[in-house]
Amino acid sequence: MGAGEIPLEAGQAVTRATEGVLVDRCRRGDPEAFARLVALHEGMVFNLAARLLGNPEEARDVTQDVFIQVYRRLGQFEGRASLRTWIYRVTVNQAHNHRRWWTRRRRDREQSLDDLAKGRGAARLADERPWASPFEQARRGERARRVQEGLLELGFHHRTVLVLREVEGLSCEEIASLLGIAEGTVKSRLARAREALRRRLFDLVEEGDGR
Amino acid sequence: MRCASARRRLSDWIDGELAPAASGELAAHVDGCPACSRIAAQLREVSRLVADLPRAEAADPVAPAVLTGLEVETRGPGLGFLFRRFGAARPFMVPSLFPAALVLVTVLAAALAIGSGGGPQSGRIAGAWGVVAASGTESNPLFPSAEIGLPHEQDGGRLAADALLAGPSEGALFLETVVARDGTVADVTVLHGDAAEDGPLLEALRRQIYEPARFQGRPVAVSVYRLISRHEVLATGVIAGS
Repeated sequence: MGAGEIPLEAGQAVTRATEGVLVDRCRRGDPEAFARLVALHEGMVFNLAARLLGNPEEARDVTQDVFIQVYRRLGQFEGRASLRTWIYRVTVNQAHNHRRWWTRRRRDREQSLDDLAKGRGAARLADERPWASPFEQARRGERARRVQEGLLELGFHHRTVLVLREVEGLSCEEIASLLGIAEGTVKSRLARAREALRRRLFDLVEEGDGR
Repeated sequence: MRCASARRRLSDWIDGELAPAASGELAAHVDGCPACSRIAAQLREVSRLVADLPRAEAADPVAPAVLTGLEVETRGPGLGFLFRRFGAARPFMVPSLFPAALVLVTVLAAALAIGSGGGPQSGRIAGAWGVVAASGTESNPLFPSAEIGLPHEQDGGRLAADALLAGPSEGALFLETVVARDGTVADVTVLHGDAAEDGPLLEALRRQIYEPARFQGRPVAVSVYRLISRHEVLATGVIAGS
């Protein structure tokens, strides 16, 4: 790939060099380059926002806001972290702001969870398995709904750490850098989030100290 | 190792974040403790369930909407330009401010309308001679009239009458008493006469409490004027004997 070429499709491997080319062209106001940048990252942004907010409509709004922010602030991107990490950070901040606004308004949460679990409305599921039986699809949908419901019961900061770790596969060090907090804090939040979700999903009562 | 200590480290252990020695010690405990073993298995299952959540994608591509938004935004310095920095991080804040501002303006307008609706003013007003106190206040009291009745002394004037009898037996005083909106006496001024020996009387007048005068149902400050004329009256027998 030449210096002026940029990745065309979402999911295509992006090296640091190609990322730099893409960013430079976006900074020069190249709409085609920015459209490619959006196409490359919108799936990741939407999924993260959907898991943090539990609502596909909100996730779509946040995704749009994230890329508008990215466009405005691209001049501040120094390239020390990867563009993807930087966009993660913008997404978490936007979701946090959006959640604060949204929690002041009532919304049909049950409907939102159903839409997200079954890939309806503003969302669709990337790994739907059309060959699975209706029973299997219903079982998977119900399980996803319960897990998402449990995630939404967690505090926003705990949910963020858990989703970044388990869904996005980031290391504790990467999460700490992304959120601007200590690695120990990440581990602590992660442990509490897992424990809270374990109790919710497995419907456990407090267990005594075994020994 | 106790269970409580082991459970605090299970999350780090699952992530492989423990040092080898600590990891080995914890593994030994978990192997021998059914309760901790079950919790460790459930925590692993929690991680797997979250990681296995189906990846959600936007039903329609987001890029066109983003580019349209940016195109509208960069077309020119319209109203959006004014709010861009303020509203950028909270895109829904600016629209939500308008109803709030409307309510605020309505409340303020209603308060002003009530405050200026006929009758005495409660604030200060600017006139042709500068700023003057509003009528009906202690600095600019009203005069009793058909619409504004006299304020009534709550003790029936007994306090002042006693002080009057204890004062000099001769002379006349013309006094102005300003009765405040709360019924206390704001000021007593001697307009005419020698009040050198009438300190107790003036003090008694200043301590009087009134039922305040009212105009259109609202208490107002008023000026009350009194002429006190004292004459020594002697019995007939005394004159005859003198």
